[in-house]
Order: sequence, then C-alpha cells, then structure tokens
Amino acid sequence: MKLRTRSNNRLQHRIVVFFVVLLIAVQLTSFLAIRYAIERTAQNSLRDEMRVGARVFKRLLDQNSQQLIEATSVLTYDFGFREAIGTRDRDTITSALRNHAARIKASGMSVIDMEGKFVADTHDESNAGKTYPHPDMVKRAQLLGRTSGIRMMGDKPYQVVVVPVLAPLPIAWVAMTFAIDDGTAGDLQRLSSSDVTFVRVGGAEPQLLATTLPPSRRAPLLAQVRMLIGYGRDGVSTHLGDEEFEVLATPLEDTGDLRIFALLQRSVSEGHAPYLALQAVLMFLAAFALAVTLFGSIRIARRITRPVAELAEAAREIARGNYNVRVNPGGDDELGDLARSFGGMVHELTERDNIRDALGKVASTEVVEMLLRGQIELGGEERDVTIMFTDVRNFTALAETLTPQQSLSLLNEFLTAISEVVEAHGGVVDKYLGDGVMAIFGAPVMRPDDPERALHCALVIRKRVEALGPTLAARGLPHPEVGLGMNTARVIAGNMGSPSRLNYTVLGDGVNLASRLEGLTKRYHVPIVAGSRTRESVPGIVWRELDKVRVKGKTVAERIYEPLGREGEVGAADLARLARWHEALEDFRSRRFTSAHAGFEALADERGYVRIIAIYMGYLRELTANPPRDDWDASFTLYDK
Amino acid sequence: MNSLTECYPRPVKTALRAIVFVLAAAPASHAATLEISVTDARGAPVEDAVVWAMPKTGPAPLRKRDAAIAQRDKAFVPLVSVIQTGTAVQFPNQDPIRHHVYSFSPPKTFELKLYAGTPAAPVLFDKPGEVLLGCNIHDHMIAYVYVVDTPWFAKTGKDGEAKIEGLPAGDYDVQLAHYGQAVAQAAASIRLRGDETLAQGFAVALKPPVPRPQAK
Repeated sequence: MKLRTRSNNRLQHRIVVFFVVLLIAVQLTSFLAIRYAIERTAQNSLRDEMRVGARVFKRLLDQNSQQLIEATSVLTYDFGFREAIGTRDRDTITSALRNHAARIKASGMSVIDMEGKFVADTHDESNAGKTYPHPDMVKRAQLLGRTSGIRMMGDKPYQVVVVPVLAPLPIAWVAMTFAIDDGTAGDLQRLSSSDVTFVRVGGAEPQLLATTLPPSRRAPLLAQVRMLIGYGRDGVSTHLGDEEFEVLATPLEDTGDLRIFALLQRSVSEGHAPYLALQAVLMFLAAFALAVTLFGSIRIARRITRPVAELAEAAREIARGNYNVRVNPGGDDELGDLARSFGGMVHELTERDNIRDALGKVASTEVVEMLLRGQIELGGEERDVTIMFTDVRNFTALAETLTPQQSLSLLNEFLTAISEVVEAHGGVVDKYLGDGVMAIFGAPVMRPDDPERALHCALVIRKRVEALGPTLAARGLPHPEVGLGMNTARVIAGNMGSPSRLNYTVLGDGVNLASRLEGLTKRYHVPIVAGSRTRESVPGIVWRELDKVRVKGKTVAERIYEPLGREGEVGAADLARLARWHEALEDFRSRRFTSAHAGFEALADERGYVRIIAIYMGYLRELTANPPRDDWDASFTLYDK
Repeated sequence: MNSLTECYPRPVKTALRAIVFVLAAAPASHAATLEISVTDARGAPVEDAVVWAMPKTGPAPLRKRDAAIAQRDKAFVPLVSVIQTGTAVQFPNQDPIRHHVYSFSPPKTFELKLYAGTPAAPVLFDKPGEVLLGCNIHDHMIAYVYVVDTPWFAKTGKDGEAKIEGLPAGDYDVQLAHYGQAVAQAAASIRLRGDETLAQGFAVALKPPVPRPQAK
C-alpha cells in the first residue's frame, strides 16, 4: 500500500514538476529575451534622445551666441555709444559700457582699440591701456566682421562676443562677456532635458566650469573627463558614483591649449524607468502564471492519479473475487469514462455470473440490456409463459438420403430458421432437443401478449416449413413436416442446476404438456396442437377442436386445438366443414353416437379430416364394443410417450 | 562752384578729371609735372589711390579750392576725396531721403544730422589726416577723405594713373595712401627741376576686403 502511494505520488510529482519546469523555462527565456530587447531599446532610445538633445544644445548655444552678437552689434551701432567712443574719454566710455552691458544683461563689456589694447573695461578699470588678452578673438572678428567664443577669465568661463565699432570702418572693438555658470547650465538643462556640464581640459588638470550635476557626481565625472571627451562624441555609458549615465561630449572650443567641452549626462536608470515598470508588470504576470500553473497542475495530477489508484485498487479486489466494489465515476472526461466503463465491466461481470445462461438464449439486445440492468429477476419465480416445442417430423427420413455433413447442415438450417422466427416474436430458444426446439414466450421477459406472440410464431413456422417443401423437393428431398406443440401455463422460471453449471429454464406440468402436445401432432396429422389456455389467450383465430386428452395422473381432461389461421384468412368451405365437424364432435360427446357417426362419415374424405375421422371412427367402434360408463367424459388418456 | 555741381550726375571719373583740371589750371612757369602710376602686388592698376607731394623746404602755399562730397543712391560720391587742409567741403544730398553724415575720425569729427539738400554751411577740414565718413542711418555708406598739407595732390583713375602738375622745382616727399592698403607706404623722396616731367611708380599691397554692412 505504501509502495503504491509512493508510485502515485511519483506520477503526480512528475506531472507537476514537468509543467512547472516547462513554464519556468518558457518564462525565463521570454523574460530574458524581453529584458534584452528592453535594455537595447532603452539604451538606443536614450542615446538617440541624447543625440537629439546634443543637437538642440549645440543649436541653442549657436543661437544664443548669435543673439548676443546681434544684441551687441545693435549696441555698437548706437550713435550715442559711438560718440562716446569718439570722445576717447575713458570715464565716459566706461560708464557707457556699463549702461550698455546692463541693457543686454552681459557680465561685462570692454572696448579694445585697433592696436589691441583696452580702451576701457568694466571688469577691471585698471585694464585700460593694457593689451587685450584674447587677440585671436579680435583677429577673427576682423576677418569675419564679428565673432563669438568661450574664453577663460581667471578660472571662469565666459562667452565672449567681439564686434567692431563701425564709423563706418572699425574704429574699435567691443568685447561683450557673458558668464557661463551653473545658472547657464541650468537654463540649458531645462531646454535639452539633460544634465549639462562645462569642462575645461586644456590645462594640466581638467577643470569643471559649470554643471547641473549634484556635488556627489562631480568628482567621478571629472575623473573620467578625458575618456568621456575621447569616446563620447556619439555617446558613451559610464558610472558616475553608483549610477549609470549616458554621456555625450560636445566640443565648444578646441583651439590649442583651450579645450572646453559641454558634457550632456542623462541617468540610464531614469531613461529606463518606464521600461522598469514594464519589467515589473512582466515579473508579476510571470509569478501569477507560475502560481496558476502550480495550482492547476497539482489539481490535474491529482485528478489523474487518484482515480487511477482507485481503479487499480478495485481491479485488485475483483481479482480476489470481490465483485462488490463501486468505482466513483468522477467527471465527464476520459478518466470518468474509464471509471464508468470499469464500473460497467464490474457490473457486467457480476451479472454475467448470474445470467450467463439467459444471455446465451436471447439475441435481443433489448432483453440483454434489461438483463444487464438487473431489471429481470432470474432468481426463480412463478410466472405465466407459453411453451412451444417443435419437431421436424420426418427428418430421419430426410437424413437417410444425405451425408452426415449435409444432414447436419440441413438441420442447422432448420434450427436457425426456427430460432430466428422465435426471436423475432420475442421468444427465447430454451434448448435444442435433437431436431427439435424448445422455445419460451414470457420468460425471462414477460409481455402481456406472450401467448399471441407464440401462436403467431407457430403459424409463421408452419408457413415457412410449407414454403420450404417445393425447394427441397427440387433438390430431390422429401417434403418436410413440422410438428408444433404449445401450451400456456404457470411455471417456475429461473436458474437451475449446480453453481458451476447454471441453466435458466422453466419447469412444470404445463411444460410437459406442451411436449406431449407436440407428440400429438403425429397422432392427429396436424402441424400445430395447442392447449386450451393458449386458445383462450389468443383471440381472432379460427380453432379446430381436436380432442380431449387426459394426462396420466390428472383428473381434469384437457381440450386440445389446432389453430387453422387468423379469422378472415380461412376460406368459407373450410369454415363450413369446421362447423360440421364441431357439430359431429358435439354429437359424439353427447353420446349421440349414431348421428355422430353420420357426421364423421360425411367428413371422412375431406382434406385435413381423414386422419381425425379415422381416429374418431376407432373411438366409436370401441364405444360400441364397450359402451361407456356414466362418468365418460369423452376424453382420451395420454400414456407415456 | 555751379559748373562743378553740374558735373556731378556724370560718372565719377569725370568728376575726378574736373578736379585734376582745376589743379592743372593753376598758372605756373617753370613748373614740373609728376606722373604717378599705382599698381597692386600683381601689377594691376589701382584706382582711388591718393598721392601728394610735400615740399621738403618750408610749408606749401594754401590754395583755396571748393570741394563737395555728394550722397547719391545711398552712396557717397566720390568714394575717395583728397583735399588740402583748410578746405571747406559741401555735402549735397541728392537722394529723396535724408542722410546723417558723421565722422569720428580724429582729424575732423563732425555730424550733419538728418538733412536734405545741401547744408548751408560747408564743413571745414582743418587738420591733415584720413577722415572716414559714414551715414548714421545707412550703415553701408562710407567715404574716405584725405586731408593733406599741400596743394599738390592727385587721385588715380581706373588706369591707376594720376598726374600732379605745376610743381615748382625743389625737393619733395611724395606720399601715397589707399583706403585698402595693408601697410602705410613710405614717402618717396624726389627732386624736381623746372619744366621736368617725372614718372613715379608705386606698388601697394592691398588688404583683402573686410566684411561690411550691405546696402539694404
């Protein structure tokens, strides 16, 4: 028992483990694939965004410097300003510079003369007369008309715009300066949606000029500046502190030892944030699917293994001979079907032990089903049945002209034909008796019209055998005749015999009588002899009373009849003869022997009456020799066969 | 004066010739002539180069002459003028719009605020040197005035030629200026005898043109 449980559990476990491992494998694969795709997409889109951001940033810077140039140009064209320059009065000029720088929110403004010397400078008034420190800017302005660039003043970066003071040729240069500080970076951050850092790498140590980064990330950025500038033109990933950043480097000034770059930084995890949410959803779905699979596969495994175990146990019980097992059919699935079939099989086996003989007798599936369902009691009971015995009368004569094989096959042909007719009328063939058949109508299945069925069966057999005559005659065989004895009686029906060899059959005087009546067909030369109860049970038939017989040992004589056919099917001449016969029979039974004799004699040569008239003439002769006693009941005593 | 102004609608060259004619018309006996030829670095003639001869011995005599720089089609005509120190220059505006002529050049700083027609008072150029003229409302307008301390001056035409006539015999420093020259030219020292015609060539290195505001 323990071993069995373990093996069941093993199957169950295997099913569960298989499904769970399969699901995990599938989920892991898809999760990794999705994760890879997500990371790639996130990285690419981040990089693309950064590039767009960088272009925007560069454009912003260009526009910004262009605007500063224009604004400064407008100032230098101001006639008052030019007049102020024209005065060569330093204080006036410095004052004018302050005024004009404030107009466009510049950090400072200088005027440089054509020799490259400060005329005035708002950053440091003492600069006047000194050489302007960025002659390259002036030179560029000379060539291009105006220029803009980033220059260091002290350690601070400034956007420097140099435009000429035209009168109408340049008479001086104006250098307008705009501080690049964290505020500038912040403005650009808002527009390019990236962190912005300005760095200088010209000197020995890279210098961080302005940034929007929090202080904690500045040092790691500064440490990697050279690498970022080297590889970051199209974007590069790096760690700043504990976080991964995508960095894109844009050169702003790259001349000689002055190298100033703008670094755009964007947090990779922030860029990945929407994708992380997606990942979380996927993880949740995966966990949910896993739970459902676990639960479902355990249930399915149990549903498979439990009935299997039950069936195995039941099969073992049956092997031990215990049919009293019930299998729970379960659901509508294959296992339920198996359980039901198994149950059906058990039931069938049980029933078959009881009914295997009855089953052998009935060909009707309807009856078989009734038997199997246990709707028919086979235990033995009294019931009214109609018993029929048949006999092929001159089969022995037939057989003499045939080989054993031929005669057996002919007999089988007969028996088969008779059996078919019996079954067609709802009867069962109880047994074969040599060349005869014993059939029962009313057991094991009882129907209200059993006698009628039996009688019609007899009529059909008679007709069939008559029809067979010409066929056999054509083969040079004698004309076959059939004798049918039938009787309706209360009998005992049930399984009889020893437990190892049970036989379902019927027993009783009525059965014997039917057998005797079959024997009488030879005596009266009629195909069918039926008992009185059969006659009473079947209406609509033209009957010819044959005789009154007393079975030995019985006090009551039985009237016996021959069915001639259905009413309406019998010819008028036959009916007239029948009337005359019954009249003569009545005379005979009323001891009017003289008139009976006359009646018999008148019918003596009629077809179908020759034999019976001969018999009755014999009775009359005997009665004349030995006049009957008073208690004569006109019956004929049947002795043993 | 009137005869001069009538000349203005004609091409610049004619105007220049008029000035040369006026200069040459000065009576002088035993006077020498200086023929100037100016070329650039590639040998092409240079127009609008200004040359003047400064006598080495004492100051040159002042010769009062009228001069005018007109404004026509939003441009100064002529582009380049050369005048003797002490000359008063008229600024007739021939455009239907006003102009605001100014100079911030040290030799002569002045301003003629938005005006039409010819201002009543001419502008006196009383110091030698280069004076740049502009228009405050037309950034592209420009004119060059060379104020020299000698009556002997000339301006090259399209052919790069100029002629200074009526020079008394003596030693001179001949100087050349061009608004586009890269570096100042050293003066050429010459000695003139009476009735002599001397040819003097100059080669100037010109700057590449600088970007300037364009006419709108």
